[in-house]
Amino acid sequence: MLRLTLYLVIGIALFLALKHVYTYLPEAVLRKMVRIWDKIFLSLTWVFAGVTVLALGFIIFHILSNGIPHLSPRLFAVNVTLGDVSMFPAIISTVLMVIIVLAISVPLGMFTAVFLVEYMRTGSWFVTLIRSAAEILAGIPSIVYGLFGMMFFRVFLGMGFSILSGSLTMSIMMLPLIIRTTEEALKSVPDTYREGSFALGAGKLRTVFRIILPNAMPGIFAGVILAIGRVVGESAALIFTAGTILQIPSSLFDSARTLTVHMWRLSSYGQYVNETYATAVVLLLVVLSLNAVSGVIARKFTKT
Amino acid sequence: MKKMLALLAVAGLLLFTACGDGGESTTSNPSTNNPAVAAAPTPAPAAANPAATVTPITGPIDVISRESGSGTRDAFVEILGILEDGVDRTYIEAVIQTGTGAVITAVAGNLYAIGYISLGSVRDDVRAMPINGVPATAENVQNGSYPLFRTFYLATPRNLEPLAQDFLDFIVSAEGQEIAVSRGFVAIGDNLPAFSGGGLTGTLEISGSTSMVDLMERIAAAYMELHADTRIEIHSTGSGAGITDAREGRVAFGMASRALRPAELEYVDSVTMAHDGLAVIVHNDNPIASLTTEQVRDIFMGELPRWSDTH
Amino acid sequence: MKMRKMSKYGMEFSMKIVFAACACVSIIAISLIAIFLFTGGLPAIFEIGIYEFFLGQRWAPGDRYPAVPAFGVLPMIVGSIYITLGALVIGVPIGLFTAIYLAYMCPHRIYVFVKPVVNLLAGIPSVVYGFFGMVVLVPMIRPFAREITGGGTGESIMAASILLGIMILPVVIGISESAIRAVPANYLEGALALGASKTRSVFCVIVPAAKSGIMAAVVLGVGRAVGETMAVNMVAGNQARMPTHLLRGVRSLTANIVMEMPYAYGLHRDALTATGVVLLLFILIINMLFVFLVRKGR
Repeated sequence: MLRLTLYLVIGIALFLALKHVYTYLPEAVLRKMVRIWDKIFLSLTWVFAGVTVLALGFIIFHILSNGIPHLSPRLFAVNVTLGDVSMFPAIISTVLMVIIVLAISVPLGMFTAVFLVEYMRTGSWFVTLIRSAAEILAGIPSIVYGLFGMMFFRVFLGMGFSILSGSLTMSIMMLPLIIRTTEEALKSVPDTYREGSFALGAGKLRTVFRIILPNAMPGIFAGVILAIGRVVGESAALIFTAGTILQIPSSLFDSARTLTVHMWRLSSYGQYVNETYATAVVLLLVVLSLNAVSGVIARKFTKT
Repeated sequence: MKKMLALLAVAGLLLFTACGDGGESTTSNPSTNNPAVAAAPTPAPAAANPAATVTPITGPIDVISRESGSGTRDAFVEILGILEDGVDRTYIEAVIQTGTGAVITAVAGNLYAIGYISLGSVRDDVRAMPINGVPATAENVQNGSYPLFRTFYLATPRNLEPLAQDFLDFIVSAEGQEIAVSRGFVAIGDNLPAFSGGGLTGTLEISGSTSMVDLMERIAAAYMELHADTRIEIHSTGSGAGITDAREGRVAFGMASRALRPAELEYVDSVTMAHDGLAVIVHNDNPIASLTTEQVRDIFMGELPRWSDTH
Repeated sequence: MKMRKMSKYGMEFSMKIVFAACACVSIIAISLIAIFLFTGGLPAIFEIGIYEFFLGQRWAPGDRYPAVPAFGVLPMIVGSIYITLGALVIGVPIGLFTAIYLAYMCPHRIYVFVKPVVNLLAGIPSVVYGFFGMVVLVPMIRPFAREITGGGTGESIMAASILLGIMILPVVIGISESAIRAVPANYLEGALALGASKTRSVFCVIVPAAKSGIMAAVVLGVGRAVGETMAVNMVAGNQARMPTHLLRGVRSLTANIVMEMPYAYGLHRDALTATGVVLLLFILIINMLFVFLVRKGR
């Protein structure tokens, strides 16, 4: 091992030396070196782009090829008996959780963004404070959210393992995302719209709700789709708050597992490898459709 | 400048990892280095000949252990003497898997792996190693010839709600214990009373040991079938969590696959649910006939690092 | 007339309050998180001892009387650092070059194919990555681990780094590409006019000009890698000891929390909360580093 580092040090020294010396080489040699260098870098971009596509392609292919053969009606059974592997309750729980999270975080986030963009002078201390808070919230790892959700919603507020704990935690997680995308969308609405509206005598409220928000809708919608994707894909935070019971929740206080948590659970039970693959296939399909929808919206946005 | 920093960083990284204990010598038996990719590991003699004259697998043992709150781990290290003077001396290189199922997955996919799980959880994806020549079966646990066993306990809060008490009675009744026996566990005794309760409704939440979840779910299913309008939710979180939840009143009672400690008994009571063996599991193609308790202990403490040292 | 005007203003005013209140929710959320984490974690750090906690090399919460449980998180800190560095080594070069490719070298027909692919990578849940790592990467690494280090199941720093590297690719690519595209076209034109080849212009003029955006991408990638829990937990081995080899296992800070949080109570639980605090501090330091770098870049 020591030899390897010795080689590395020698290599670095040589490299540095060459860097200073090479300008003294004859013109023709230099030109050839540059051409070789160019070729190397150009091909590297192709290679690495190919690696990216290949990596994803391999992962998707592996999951699809191992999962599709094992998709069976049993995996979508409505009535779940103990020890069952049906993902139907998980799908229902996921949909429910997405709806609740969006219902909480979208109005909250949107109004926050409206406040930041429309009502405050940029540069005021309040705006900076809110923005920093949103930045920090955005950077917190999901497991820390899970910890917090467990301590605050599950224990301190006594909600226990429940959809409620889970969705409240996820709502806080989604806030920065919604705020940021709504802000971008609002800022992209030209000021002339606002000026025109005020000139016509509309108040700020009416301007916001009738003119600005509708124009910012595509951007806001993109943020919402992103948020849905994050909720669907989240696992660590939900394991500690919403729990892992495989059931169709009959109330907000019931524990339930989302599709991603369900897949994780299946993967940790040794004998359900095939079912895990199948669940992964469904998950991938959900992600694919979400991406497709957001792509369609993006295209619509740029067209108008 | 940036490139140099990057190169230096990579060099430093290599240096760091090199200076640690690099593990064993690289002169491992070439027969273990077959292209053992993915699911199909190196073939051992096809029919596992119990006679010790066969050349079984060689090479380093991959030790799989459980996470630090697991009741199964607690029971295992205590009964084998790996826990000494309060210090758990499990091999520091042991891969930690969370939960019974994860250990099964790890062992089933790796010819060189060894792990431990509840005997009742053993299915045909792995092989339970006979200890001291005694096969790992529920009968041998009951008659005492299989040395590794432990008890499943339930941590109950002081004031049990009526539905919880009723379910508890069901668990320790003849009907409940019959389910335990049918799943490969050992009943808490003979001549158990038949269940005579019922007629209550409501929801129960239970949490705890991953080893006990499967059994609890089946008993709960039987109970729920007899009594409509009852619902029992079982969270598989680990023994320590089960005890904690029971202690903090978050669940009706908790499942613990180890004996409760005095500090815990100050807050909750302990009810014996069933007896269970601890199975030392290896890959299905692992041909080793039997291990002694001393060998198992040394393997899991890291003092017996190679399969070749076991015969 | 006056009444209507007043009610309109009243409505305006009250809605402004509503909006402001919504804005305050973020602050409240942050404060709540900070309060709960710090009141749980800080006392634990002091009880364990600052030195024993941050620099202790033994994490053994299961030790009990007559021994004392050990709560040193240094192994996990170093483990997290290693796998993050590994993820950067893999993810940043590939991501940066792919971004350059997408921005400048790529024919349009290929672009409309590759871009959605990258976005799809971003959407795959981490447990799917983790599962893939478990069933494909780990068995692939296993023979090398046994050959080179004399043991090991294949769960290793290498497995975690490869997986994390793939996972941060979308972040790095996305933001780097935006940054590169944001460089004004006349930079490229000027370089070309001076006689440089296209490749040279891109690499030696455009990319350095997009430096701050690329650094932002790297920092965000680091944030994602440090915070990743499930995928790392499934492929890294989770041994609670100082990392020994690239092909042997480690435990990250995040995996430590997710594995033991359910069982922990008392000091053990507070120690895990303190681990969460350490994670938070990590992220904060990285963010501050980013702000510092951006300012320096300007």
